[in-house]
Amino acid sequence: MPRDGSRRPAGDAVPLAPMDIGEVANPPFAVLPDPGRVFLVRSERFAALAPGHQLEPYLHLLSQITRAQHDILGELPEPVLPSPERLALARDNTMPPISTGQIALDETADRTFDALLKTLAAADLAETSRTALEAVEKAGPDGRRNMMQAVILDEIPGDAIAEHVLAAAAVQVLFTRLAARLDVESLKRVADGACPSCGGAPVASAVVGWEGAHGTRFCTCSICATQWNVVRIKCLVCSSEKGIAYHSLEGGQETVMGETCEACDSYVKMLHQHKDPSLEPIADDVASLALDLTLTKEGWTRASVNPFLMGY
Amino acid sequence: MNVQFSRRQFLKGTGAGVAGSAIGAFGFGGAEVALAQAAHAFKLSKATETRNTCPYCSVSCGMILYSRGDVKKGEKAEIFHIEGDVDNPVNRGTLCPKGAGALDFIHSKQRVTRPMHRKPGSDKFEPVTWDFAMERIAKLMKEDRDANFIEKTRDGVTVNRWPTMGFLAGCATSNEAGWLTWKAVRGLGIVAVDNQARI
Repeated sequence: MPRDGSRRPAGDAVPLAPMDIGEVANPPFAVLPDPGRVFLVRSERFAALAPGHQLEPYLHLLSQITRAQHDILGELPEPVLPSPERLALARDNTMPPISTGQIALDETADRTFDALLKTLAAADLAETSRTALEAVEKAGPDGRRNMMQAVILDEIPGDAIAEHVLAAAAVQVLFTRLAARLDVESLKRVADGACPSCGGAPVASAVVGWEGAHGTRFCTCSICATQWNVVRIKCLVCSSEKGIAYHSLEGGQETVMGETCEACDSYVKMLHQHKDPSLEPIADDVASLALDLTLTKEGWTRASVNPFLMGY
Repeated sequence: MNVQFSRRQFLKGTGAGVAGSAIGAFGFGGAEVALAQAAHAFKLSKATETRNTCPYCSVSCGMILYSRGDVKKGEKAEIFHIEGDVDNPVNRGTLCPKGAGALDFIHSKQRVTRPMHRKPGSDKFEPVTWDFAMERIAKLMKEDRDANFIEKTRDGVTVNRWPTMGFLAGCATSNEAGWLTWKAVRGLGIVAVDNQARI
């Protein structure tokens, strides 16, 4: 409104409207996963990345595993959230409400893993991949629960990695379904590099092109697929804001970059989703492994977590 | 809060001495080795993103400056892109046409990058050193202040005013720089100060 004494438009002139100078970004703090989309989108992305890729057979397998993660959703029992008292306690103390270390693996977890194995057994898998599936089946119910526990504790035995990748896939389904049932308003920032739902590490961050949040950066949880906002040009490991640089492969994909930090010598990948909306954090992290190999050769340490890249 | 050690090293230290990864464990070690060999030839292209404040007006919009070249390694750094800083609460990613064109301002051939001096009677500016500029300014300010400083009004009221000098300060400064500007300028008695605290 013009103040008294300021000039008013003469006659019937239309008052000046504020000029449109660009989209004002007002990102939410966190976005909960939609289990019905997370694994389907991921599977389709793996399938799209596979043809002609040097890791084609592996990407194809991951497309099958993520597709199985999606296909079992309908037959799973309702996951059990912590009690309202526990959720309130977490909220009041700025802790993740479904912290992976706090959730006891229950019957829902067992049935998730079993359903995943059953669906994968019926899939057209490569012979070498079938060995892992058989090993998991032979391990029995207790063995399978121990595998999921080992994934949560990040204590993977070096001689049973493939089995634990499958266990991690089951854990992802379990926690994604749990996270989807949380109240997004109750989530608090735990740390830049920790998921506000389950406390998990990010697989990568992405500059998103969402309406109302264009150009802001969101991390994706490697376990429960919750996305949370962190300001750009900031290390997700040590929160340093100095000496942050972005590396991509010369002549390669410029929409996938390693965000390196001089303070802690580590990096987490950043995807320019606003330029290429088809980028999917878990799938494109695997597909851009050449960037990891080049970055680690130069002395940077990979700080992100991706169950499908166990060992890196 | 992330685990900062390499998981590959971690795996090497456990199990039965199997240095492995998920790719190899599923039987695709051949493809993994081929990728690793191909990656030997890859080079990294590095860009730095730096937050800064738009130099134009007192709104002081946040900017992200993209640059190439590492000054620490003796390379010449060059800014190649500027965009509004989405995380800055002032402008949330937006820039006005002037701010959005700041890249041309930075690379302008007409940009003044060192102090220039036009001697009395001369028709052109010549580059001078910072020492010369500072000394010249200080000397002229002192002369002017000695000649025109008003300590008291005719009624005997102390005013300590220096009405013949004006000071044009920066607009994109922090609170601390603003405080220092105020102390330095008002301490000398300068009345006409412009911090461009408006649009």
